[in-house]
Amino acid sequence: MGKLVNKPKYTMMERAYLPEIARGLGVSMRHFFKNTFSRRSKSEIVTVNYPEEKRIYPDRFRGVHRLTHRDDGSPRCVACLCCSTACPAQCIHIEPAEYDTSDPRYGYERFPKVFVIDELRCIFCGYCVEACPCDAIRMDTGVHVPPSTDRAHFIFDKEVLMSIPGADGTYESENPRHEPGDPSHPGLTRNHGH
Amino acid sequence: MPTFKLNDKEIPFEPGETIIRAAWKQGIEIPHYCWHPGLSVAANCRMCLVEVKSQRPMMLPILKWDAEKQDYVEDTKPKLAPACQQAAAEGMEVSSTSDQVKQAQASVQEFLLLNHPVDCPICDQAGECKLQDYWLDHQKTLKRKQTEPVHKVKGVRFGPTIVYDGERCVMCTRCIRFNDEIVGDPVLDMRERGNTNEIVLSPGRQLDHKYSLMNEHVCPVGALTSRDFRFKARVWFLKAQTSVCSGCATGCNMFVDYDPRDQHVYRLRPRDNEAVNKHWMCDDGMLSYHRYHQERIVTGRVRTNGHLADVKIDVAMREAAALLATVEKSKIGVVLSAQHSSEDNFVLAKLAREKFGTDKLYLAALPGWDGDKILRHNDNNPNRAGATLAAGGPLRTVKDLLADVASGAVEGVIALGWASAEDAVALAPLSRAKVVVSLSSNEGALPNTATVVLPVAVHVEMSGTFVNAKGMAQPFKKAIQAPPGVKSAWETTLDLARAMGLGIDFAKLDDVRRAMPANTPAASNPGAPV
Repeated sequence: MGKLVNKPKYTMMERAYLPEIARGLGVSMRHFFKNTFSRRSKSEIVTVNYPEEKRIYPDRFRGVHRLTHRDDGSPRCVACLCCSTACPAQCIHIEPAEYDTSDPRYGYERFPKVFVIDELRCIFCGYCVEACPCDAIRMDTGVHVPPSTDRAHFIFDKEVLMSIPGADGTYESENPRHEPGDPSHPGLTRNHGH
Repeated sequence: MPTFKLNDKEIPFEPGETIIRAAWKQGIEIPHYCWHPGLSVAANCRMCLVEVKSQRPMMLPILKWDAEKQDYVEDTKPKLAPACQQAAAEGMEVSSTSDQVKQAQASVQEFLLLNHPVDCPICDQAGECKLQDYWLDHQKTLKRKQTEPVHKVKGVRFGPTIVYDGERCVMCTRCIRFNDEIVGDPVLDMRERGNTNEIVLSPGRQLDHKYSLMNEHVCPVGALTSRDFRFKARVWFLKAQTSVCSGCATGCNMFVDYDPRDQHVYRLRPRDNEAVNKHWMCDDGMLSYHRYHQERIVTGRVRTNGHLADVKIDVAMREAAALLATVEKSKIGVVLSAQHSSEDNFVLAKLAREKFGTDKLYLAALPGWDGDKILRHNDNNPNRAGATLAAGGPLRTVKDLLADVASGAVEGVIALGWASAEDAVALAPLSRAKVVVSLSSNEGALPNTATVVLPVAVHVEMSGTFVNAKGMAQPFKKAIQAPPGVKSAWETTLDLARAMGLGIDFAKLDDVRRAMPANTPAASNPGAPV
């Protein structure tokens, strides 16, 4: 079945074509000269000269992930796998491990031996940050994943994730928790003979 | 049978039974930590407090907070009874959901969590922890205590299998009672009192008996965790399949906990069956899952120039069929395996008797181990009885096979399984046979002597049946996928028969089970949960 199309009715002037072309070019040229030669503040341009010029992002912008540090520089992460459980893109791979018994950090019990995020697969939903019970993973870096032509550059491992500071330049987290082994830990209530 | 009422529901009980046990038998759970169906009653956690209705209830004077007056006022409440210790009586009316009971449950729960570290992200118990479950069911309030919790020892190695965390412990004494009553080795005890209470080892001892891993499973919280399972997997990723342990002839019922994403088994844990293993399993049984993934044979192997070379499975299959065709059929000896399911053995025995026309059937089995009177059977083969039943006649030993090969009565051998009591040196004369085809899941002395090796599935990769020493046929279900191209031993046997031009008409497992002698699971093991 055909569909009835209401053709617009054109005036004689419009059907002559050239006058309308001239009028349209006039609009473009007016904006061109106005935005090129007037001062920036009065300009109507909404684009910026990225990357020389950058927009200010809101505080809650979800940038590239980072892993926060403890006071001794070890990862705050305890490899509980809550983030990879919550991740809808399944881009987080963690292998937990235990510190050696002779290590003063043995009391932390558990740390990520391997912590890998595939930043190409990540959809930046922020669920990992929501899920983290230790404030160990954050997306408050305020920066994008740097572009590259090599896929391997987007596989961020533990060392890379721990080397990225937050937008405020620090590596610490808000987690007040102190485990046995931390200088701030109050210690056992009495000596144990184990 | 006399009955009592629990929350307006009639519960039958046997005289002398406690409220919690009678309810547990009906599948109703009264919240508890220290009570365990297989252990004595301690009644120390107070989580199972219930209200027993009475004409003259004992009322206790209490002080109750009055929000209007902003002060405590005098009040009374009925005395509650622990359901784990209170014997049920005819016509008794019990409530585990009244307001008084709910308040008691919430208070006990809050009390237990007072000094709990809440290190659930680190704790392996997270996801199957009673503290977590009951917090959600019975408490749901935030912590009111603002001061630093009491700190205790963490990560103490109690022995080769168990790690103890004092802060997470709720002092239910289940582990102490388990070691005392079930194992008869009182290696754990409690010391101190109040909030410095902790579980300790006997001086100079380690938790190293043969049932030590059970401590992880009797512990309702994350205080005792397994060193083998420690930090390997999160329990919410694991799926459980009902199965039977292949460690010995007791045939303990178990769950296979596996990760469906990587098709890897992470642990085995006991499944309740009063007629077989009650609630327990031994360490060797629970650790036998390593065999599912280690030293596996996943390709075909053909002996060329004296050593076994990996080939594709169908190439090995054709080679096996061609070599067996050079041997007179009545001179083929068939070795069944006490490590394999009844189905595997039945199909192989059927091939031997009906298609080869040979009655040269032998049984390969492990030599046995140190059994005990708790669970471990002296015979560490799960299916000696089933293999004998499936063969439909007496089976001779591998020693007889070696003699027959030496005398020339047997020229070709089809051997099922990796297990044999004989070592590589004792099995060396087997190489005098023209052809030895081994159907094996793992490395072993038997497949190493073979001319052709065909890979087969281990028992968690297939459904099947084990018949234990008591003669109970216990079915188990497939948990994980076999490695690519690898099939169960009975299917591989059918493929081999087909490659030799001999057809046996079985399409699926049910066909095999129908054809098998009367050792169907339902008939001989009515008590087994399916």
